[in-house]
Amino acid sequence: MRSFLTLAFALSTALRLAAQDVGARLDGRVPPEVQRAVQDIAAGAAAHGLPTEPLVQKAIEGGAKRVPAERLIAAVRALAGRLADATDAVRAGGLTSPAAEVVEGGADGLSAGLTPGQVSDLVRVSRAPYDPALVLRVAATLAALGVPATQTVQLMEGMISAGRTPGDLLALPGDVQAGVVGGATPAQAAAGLARAAGGSPPGRTPGWVPPGQTNPHKPSPNPHKP
Amino acid sequence: MSLGYHPLVKQLLDGELSLAELPLELRAEGAEALRLVGSVDRTPVVLSPALDDRVMAVVRRHAASRTRRAWHWVTAPRDVELRLRLRPVVWAAALAIAAGVALLLLARAPAVTPVPAAPVASGARDSVFVRFVLYAPGARHVALAGTFNQWDLNAAPLARAGSSGVWTTTLALPVGQHQYAFVVDGERWVADPAAPAIDDGFGRRNSMVAVTIRGARTL
Repeated sequence: MRSFLTLAFALSTALRLAAQDVGARLDGRVPPEVQRAVQDIAAGAAAHGLPTEPLVQKAIEGGAKRVPAERLIAAVRALAGRLADATDAVRAGGLTSPAAEVVEGGADGLSAGLTPGQVSDLVRVSRAPYDPALVLRVAATLAALGVPATQTVQLMEGMISAGRTPGDLLALPGDVQAGVVGGATPAQAAAGLARAAGGSPPGRTPGWVPPGQTNPHKPSPNPHKP
Repeated sequence: MSLGYHPLVKQLLDGELSLAELPLELRAEGAEALRLVGSVDRTPVVLSPALDDRVMAVVRRHAASRTRRAWHWVTAPRDVELRLRLRPVVWAAALAIAAGVALLLLARAPAVTPVPAAPVASGARDSVFVRFVLYAPGARHVALAGTFNQWDLNAAPLARAGSSGVWTTTLALPVGQHQYAFVVDGERWVADPAAPAIDDGFGRRNSMVAVTIRGARTL
């Protein structure tokens, strides 16, 4: 009984210190009522083993942008909810003690329209050298750019099974965007990348040109071109 | 974020498009790009005839230093020939002893577990210089705020490039994805027109950039 009380006291002290730390970091960056609210939200998140850093960062971002207090608190609370959902999804994908970056990547994915099941699937295929945090963040960005969620997951899985490097995954959103600038829809651009991933050896896709783009290997006649 | 101009403006610089073929909203940027490229100073650089003499004088001074010569004598590598005259039975025994010692050391060494390759995202120490450019002719002050500087409005001010209205800065960013926005005159948050943007959760847009060990890409 005594050891249980000691443990409970230690836990509550740790949570109180964490909440104080959150409050100190927000000092002067957000209005006092936002500071208090975020402190409470972060304490609740920490009690459930969720990362609090994304909450602090979102509050700081909102404070810098002078977002009205109500809206800022609502955004931070919504993020805390997504972090909780993402933690469950990541655990369902096989990571019993996920790192904060992985949970944050999962929350980004949910925010962009991926389902918890799709987050779990992406975690499941992310074995070394693929960092699940990186895979989830890239997938979240692709979905946010307008690539349909199912296609996003298929593209990521295809790249991983084709043995593409983590750097290639990180470059995917840029490749999709290049296709969009050239007139393709995000889905069409992603489909082109998926075809290239399936048909070429690992590494950068040799000679593949996103829809609507000119060949990047063509020598530039202009030496000032960046 | 921008590492250069809009792709259509790049085509204009390549001579693949004319200014009139650009969309209306890009013509100002195109005209500015042409003006900047046209104003590059292409005058050949002529070296002073006295340069050779000055360089050789420094070389001679170094060569004449006794301390330097002594240090060079001590540290310079030299060919050394070592000849040993041994019976085959002696060097065979020496090899056997060396192999025995090596086996003994290996047996005592702790077992080594293969470590998977570190994922790219964890290589946060890898930083890449990224150039950010904004065309804001009427601005008095432009700054860059993002996830990489805790949205600090004072951390990364942009410098005005002459009177062209172009503002620019270069930052070392760690490998990974970053969100950011330009802050014009301390109050107006502007997404990078040259980069895609996503919802920031507050009803505004954040621009995105991906930094890989191969360089930076606008997402």
